[in-house]
Amino acid sequence: MSKQRVMVVGGGLAGLAATMKLAELGVNVDLMSLTPVKRSHSVCAQGGINSCNDQTRLLGDTEWKHLDDTVYGGDFLQHQPPAKEMAYWGPKVIDLMDRLGVTFNRTEEGFMDRRRFGGTLYKRTAFAGATTGQQLLYALDEQVRRWEAAGKVTKYEHWDFLAPILDDQGVCKGVVAQDLVSMEIRSFPADAVIVATGGCGLIFGRSTMSMACTGSAASRCYQAGAKYGNAEFIQVHPTAVPGADKLRLMSESARGEGGRVWVPRKPQDPRSPHEIPAEERYYFLEERYPTYGNLVPRDIATREIFDICVNEGLSVEANKPCVYLDLTHISRAELDRKLGGILAIYEKFQGVDPREQPMKIFPAVHYSMGGLWANYEKSEDGGMVAGSPINQQTSLPGLYAIGECDYHYHGANRLGANSLLSCIFTGLFCAPGVANLLESQEKVAAEYPGQLFDGARSDHQSRQDELLKRPAGKENAYQLHQELGEVMTKAATVVRRNDQLSDAIDKVDELHKRSQHCSLSDTGQWTNQNVTFTKSLLDMFPLAKTLLKGAFQRDECRGAHYKPDFAMPGLEGKTSADRIKEAELWCDRFEENTKKWLKSSVATWNEAKSEADIEYEDVDTSLVPPRPRLYGLVGAEEIEQVWSQRAAAKQEAVPGKANLST
Amino acid sequence: MSNHSSTTKRKTFAVRVLRKDSPESESYWERHDVEYEPDMNIISVLQKIASKGESSSGKKIAPVAWDCNCLEEVCGACTMVVNGKTRQACSSLIDRLLEESPSEIVLSPMSKFPVVRDLVVDRKRIFHNLKKVKAWVPVDTYSDMGPGPKQSRQQQEEAYPLSECMSCGCCLEACPQYLKIEVTRKNGETDEAFEQRQKEAYDKGFIGANTISQVVLFNNNPTGQMNAKERTDAIMQEGGIQICGNAQNCVAVCPKEIPLTTSIAKAGRAATIRGLQRIFDK
Amino acid sequence: MSSAQSSFLARHEFLIRRLHSLTGLLPVGAYMCVHLFTNATILDSVQLFQNAIYGIHTLGDALILVEWGFIFLPLIFHAVLGMAYVSGGLPNPTAYSYGSNWRYTLQRATGIIAFLFIFWHVFHMHGWFHAEWWLENVARPLGGAMFSPYNAASTAGKAMQSTPIVPILYTIGVLACVFHFANGLWTMGITWGLWTTPQAQKRANFLSIGVGTLLGIVSLSAIAAFTQVDTKKAGEIEEHLQEKRLESGFINEKQLHHKSVDDHSTDQENSTSKGDETPKPQNGSGT
Repeated sequence: MSKQRVMVVGGGLAGLAATMKLAELGVNVDLMSLTPVKRSHSVCAQGGINSCNDQTRLLGDTEWKHLDDTVYGGDFLQHQPPAKEMAYWGPKVIDLMDRLGVTFNRTEEGFMDRRRFGGTLYKRTAFAGATTGQQLLYALDEQVRRWEAAGKVTKYEHWDFLAPILDDQGVCKGVVAQDLVSMEIRSFPADAVIVATGGCGLIFGRSTMSMACTGSAASRCYQAGAKYGNAEFIQVHPTAVPGADKLRLMSESARGEGGRVWVPRKPQDPRSPHEIPAEERYYFLEERYPTYGNLVPRDIATREIFDICVNEGLSVEANKPCVYLDLTHISRAELDRKLGGILAIYEKFQGVDPREQPMKIFPAVHYSMGGLWANYEKSEDGGMVAGSPINQQTSLPGLYAIGECDYHYHGANRLGANSLLSCIFTGLFCAPGVANLLESQEKVAAEYPGQLFDGARSDHQSRQDELLKRPAGKENAYQLHQELGEVMTKAATVVRRNDQLSDAIDKVDELHKRSQHCSLSDTGQWTNQNVTFTKSLLDMFPLAKTLLKGAFQRDECRGAHYKPDFAMPGLEGKTSADRIKEAELWCDRFEENTKKWLKSSVATWNEAKSEADIEYEDVDTSLVPPRPRLYGLVGAEEIEQVWSQRAAAKQEAVPGKANLST
Repeated sequence: MSNHSSTTKRKTFAVRVLRKDSPESESYWERHDVEYEPDMNIISVLQKIASKGESSSGKKIAPVAWDCNCLEEVCGACTMVVNGKTRQACSSLIDRLLEESPSEIVLSPMSKFPVVRDLVVDRKRIFHNLKKVKAWVPVDTYSDMGPGPKQSRQQQEEAYPLSECMSCGCCLEACPQYLKIEVTRKNGETDEAFEQRQKEAYDKGFIGANTISQVVLFNNNPTGQMNAKERTDAIMQEGGIQICGNAQNCVAVCPKEIPLTTSIAKAGRAATIRGLQRIFDK
Repeated sequence: MSSAQSSFLARHEFLIRRLHSLTGLLPVGAYMCVHLFTNATILDSVQLFQNAIYGIHTLGDALILVEWGFIFLPLIFHAVLGMAYVSGGLPNPTAYSYGSNWRYTLQRATGIIAFLFIFWHVFHMHGWFHAEWWLENVARPLGGAMFSPYNAASTAGKAMQSTPIVPILYTIGVLACVFHFANGLWTMGITWGLWTTPQAQKRANFLSIGVGTLLGIVSLSAIAAFTQVDTKKAGEIEEHLQEKRLESGFINEKQLHHKSVDDHSTDQENSTSKGDETPKPQNGSGT
């Protein structure tokens, strides 16, 4: 055991949580990251982290309800056992982070304060100002530093993961990676590899994601044979601040703390927002969704803002689509205490004080619900078996995926403040399983024949050499990236149409071909960011193609994937009886669609055809039966009525399957 | 919105970058003419330079190397010296920089850290120092032990700003007492020997405002408090808090507006008490 | 420097820096205040100034211990370490032109000026050592050791009036010392943890500005007074006071030998003059 090592790739919340837990279990860990781990993208998470808690319990909340909100918000596309395990771990994760010194906001009495987030009616979200992700990451970073000082963890920062190393049985036995300073390519034997490399927002050019979120690490595993699930599900965050280099996130917590979204009823009203009286403001989310108001789930808020600007022409500005996110009715002191961090970002980058003027925001690509396909072992109580080496394992034995880069937990749409939970949870939860895998192994990876590692290293060295030798003046990687981003953003974000998607598939294919002729403007052997970027661009194409194909094939609306041609419209009937009749048909159609499409796409990369082979996998919905998402739909009441009658009938038909929540 | 009348007419603007191909090579200046667009920042300027691939004289060049990640001033990666002042490249808006200095924008790497290439510097020393002062809460286990100690709102409000430190290094770059330490590898030296020598060199240098502030953060945490003496001892070693010369640039340049000088004074008070204890409580 | 020495300094760096900080206030700064206020008694009268000096010199032979133990050695400690510390910083007030950064820079600049000034000033007035052979052969021929404690005002006046450059150098030197002390109080309060928050540091800053201004006024007026003092008349008054002191046995002939050679030559005439300018003879007899 002492010679065994685990390689964790990625030092965000998930990677750090796994590292510290493994170190505690006595495992030696190598931690590899593109950036110093303290600078990982997790710092950008703002709003908070969810769990059922003492305050919400008094109002009837339970972990089960957290599970229910999570799967309902995710449109039932996630396997429910992992989601259940996560919801039940929520309170434990937050307690641990509290003990690690995270500066969660406090109530007058000194308890942890909570705020409400989208897609729930409970105040489940613990937060540290408006920089919760940063605070959580730092707490884990500190713990990992502690283990580093104790000699259990070795960090490889400024290293780029190039590929997993597979033995002749296809078992992962290490990684090939490149030092971004010296450009040295090296093999690292590892008895298990955990990939925790986050999302792939950069496929869309500009997004709310950090520059490291190219998805290239996940893509390299995918190209090495790991399966990729639900690639077509990309969350577009409703509120971001457009910028030339990046679309900066404006946290959902702004709405959680009472922020209101509106546009002037008169298109491009030239008056300043303060001069527009209440009756001439269109609070469209509040009007269209009276129950959840501004806190509808993200996919819905995004579509509504998009609809207001694009279809209704009510954008605040004529040449740039945007709506107001207004906090000016809340006191300065309260804003500073609870949202200071994000308001400072807005002020710094826009030069306008959001405490005085409503912010101008528009949706932006934000999160990849999909990711590397990962396994789990279901427990008898419908959760996951603790300590099982199967949990979070990809289709390549010995290779694990956790955090944003796995495809579990969030289904077709992620609820706000659930990502931080899923990241820390998967890191903590998978570690004992990985430790058990190591226990069960007889042979140490480092003692495998050297040619396995040398071969992998020299393959990648030749790829690098080939890139550097390409004649100058051909395709420019930065230009291609921009074009890729434009195609993807146009075809595969808020609203998807098959004609646009098939067009995009052709265009991306062409870009992919052109990218094979990328030449480098820097052919040096020292801190060559040009070659690193070019490689990551090349690896964006398999993911982009998989995403587009998955989206093209999925002829339905589910969560973040919205195809208006396949939308289920609201009811039109004038009388209640008419509407009930319509609701019956609506529910029939819904059930039919569920049967056909409540399936995850699982892709395998086909290098020969340079495209994805997509299969579909049934979703484990054994805990919470799927039901229609009716946020704000016309006729929701009648559909609800019909649906609950059907559900009750089914319940009686299967007497053994009692409601697990009681 | 931020299209100031003075800058809307601009077609291009000049950017001068201090480049260095490797730690061993000489630095040199390179000039770029960048097309003006509204709402640019230094990051978008460097992106444009990278995609253009040539300098203002039309010479083919390798893209300027620089560090960045989040682009919203929370990761601390993109610190550099812009127009003579240390700051985050992402939040350095071109419109404002051109107001400050209309003729050109000057970019250079941080001067207190060894240059790796161009604008990329090696800031390992910051993280080394965090280890030295044990900047963490020493919990017994990561198993479920229930919630942490109750804390007042006031405690949280004092701790939160300190915990926002992103180790960007601005405070160190501006500090007249913090000097650059560059250890170069000897011929045939092993990684371990080199790293050991580097650590020893770091231990002699000033620990800096950010690390002192982290000591205050953890010494005020209810659990972290239990190791307060060790941390205070660590900042009383060679290169410790005593090197501070109270120029107070740290607090002025901190992009997160962390009350670093308050931390330094509080740590100074703790060190005074600890110093007396060490003499009289023996 | 041997490695044993450097590791000693390194191991005790905290203590040494704190002692450096402390000696700036006690005894060096405190002594400076006493010194500047004593000088300022010249504004009242030659008698008061002379009597203040008598007061100091009642220590007799112990004075040398006090001078070296409580003034010169701590001063040298503070000054020499201070110079070493200055060389360990890279002032950058033009790039970061904040008030506190300018003061950081000025603290170091005034430290250097004070170092040079005090070294010269002690030589110029005091001579550094009391040994007769040193005074006769080295100090006085080089224009040093001009001050005589039993002819305080007249010798100080002569020293200040010897060339026009002297009062200018004194003005620069004394102001540097005053700034260094007043600003040092402020930084010391932060270093030792007395004032921690920006608000408290602001209030403390008013304190240091107040102390600096007061000391600045006191010391500059004293310099002005010494440049104006009529050394001849002052000499007469001093002789008058000496006689009274001799009579009452507060001082003896032996102590008077420490007077400067120049003063001896005028002794005869001075002692016989009437002293009609003596305004407050009753103050004379060192109460």
